[in-house]
Amino acid sequence: MCPHSSLKQEFLKKWIMGLQRCSFSKKNMSILERKKTIKLSADIAMASARNGTTRWSRALISNASKDGSDNRLVQQILGPESNTPVAAITNKARTRRALVCKKIVKRSRRQIRRRRRKCVAAAPVKAVTSSIAKHLVRKRTQVLKTLIPGGEFMDEICLIEETLDYITSLRVQVDVMRSVASASVRASEP
Amino acid sequence: MESNAGTKETRSNLTASDGGEVTAFESLQFTDEIHRLILAPTTDNSSSFTALLELPPPQAVELLHSPDSPKLIAASPPNVEDFQGSFRFPSNSGLIERDARFSLFSGEANNSNEKRNSPESKNVSANPEKNVKSEPAETESSQPLVSDPTVEKRSIKRKDRENKVKGSTKKSKTVANENSEDAEKLPYVHVRARRGQATDSHSLAERARREKINARMKLLQELVPGCNKISGTALVLDEIINHVQSLQRQVEFLSMRLAAVNPRIDFNLDSVFTSESGSLMDSNFPSLVMPAIWPEVQGNGHRQQYQHQWHLDTLQQPVWGREEVCNNYITPENSLLTYDSSANSATLQANHLKMEL
Repeated sequence: MCPHSSLKQEFLKKWIMGLQRCSFSKKNMSILERKKTIKLSADIAMASARNGTTRWSRALISNASKDGSDNRLVQQILGPESNTPVAAITNKARTRRALVCKKIVKRSRRQIRRRRRKCVAAAPVKAVTSSIAKHLVRKRTQVLKTLIPGGEFMDEICLIEETLDYITSLRVQVDVMRSVASASVRASEP
Repeated sequence: MESNAGTKETRSNLTASDGGEVTAFESLQFTDEIHRLILAPTTDNSSSFTALLELPPPQAVELLHSPDSPKLIAASPPNVEDFQGSFRFPSNSGLIERDARFSLFSGEANNSNEKRNSPESKNVSANPEKNVKSEPAETESSQPLVSDPTVEKRSIKRKDRENKVKGSTKKSKTVANENSEDAEKLPYVHVRARRGQATDSHSLAERARREKINARMKLLQELVPGCNKISGTALVLDEIINHVQSLQRQVEFLSMRLAAVNPRIDFNLDSVFTSESGSLMDSNFPSLVMPAIWPEVQGNGHRQQYQHQWHLDTLQQPVWGREEVCNNYITPENSLLTYDSSANSATLQANHLKMEL
């Protein structure tokens, strides 16, 4: 993917740097621990490659730095830019509160509307199909919100934008990891 | 993305232009159209007029509202048969005409301005030029709309349309009583447009929001492979969810694979690098060079060797000097990288690096 080459390079750099830094903390890690650290450093590298411009990256970093065990790792990887997680957390908390309030208001409005609409007679077939479709869409958006890091606090428009960005960065991550994995496999063969 | 104001303007322009068109000489054409429409299939039996109402509004709108009237009328009988159900018009042409225009125009005011933003409007406006192409254009535009499974939107619009039809028919009937058939109910269009759109700031905001969401969904559809053919929000979202989940699973799997392959977490990039010297042609390659250089800072002996081959250390040292010198980065057995064999790859690397820098 030509337009993503710079992103790939940046991700790879950060990832490898992170891996090197956390290799000194422990020796003889089990395979699962290794996998966890690899994945974690990859994710954080991906997120920091965005430099806090997207919400999912900030959410990812703040989620990772919440757990005590991974906090050291995150700090190591991020290094001098350790301000970003803190800022991200506070930012997220603020937006979370605002969005929770918004959600409550929306939900109550929706209930009121539903009660009103029950009185009004609507063409049954159309109402049913539309409600079914709406229900499906709502369910899907719920699932999507669970998938995207920090998605529960976004409204629909932001969610779609974030999925766009998230998908592109995931693709970059997969490409880089795949090439590194194949390279290391080939290296370890002879 | 379009701004709210922009979309509103385009919409109002649409209605204004439609009204303008209708106001103009088109008005007469419409009556002729409708007359012909009505009279043409009267050769068939006559039965309820409600078949027209049950037509999905956009199709009917296309049928009646496309300014390319004469060809349209010539084409209309075959198109009419294409649509679901046959058109059965009662013989009372005046009543039919009025009612047809009301229902269809309100449908048009709702649907055409909302569902079809630019492409469909372009379609409509492009019709006057093309005569022969009007039929395929119309059928094309009608068919995706027919197959459009955004049931929610259509049903909502139908509800609105019905409400507005009821509300507006009163007004329009009074006006129609004043004028005879040729009064081409442009006022109706205006009235309906205003009633439909401008009264509710809520609905306006909702419509703008809907358009934003739809625009972004289109982008997503282009990004995710295989989503272009699917229409309908729920199915597209399904595909997107599957795609994201598969990507996340791939990341997990690859990280597991990496963990399994390498006994140490800082996998031997040098060995990786050498083995891949010829094969890695993409842009990952130059950045792989970087970490390999760090240990060379310490290993002077090796450094000499590499300098001969790369001629790039001096370039890279300032770049990477800022980075903390890797603390005791152990370059084990693989440290003596045999670059002699990979002379051409060295030049390749050089090129890559130059490009990068």
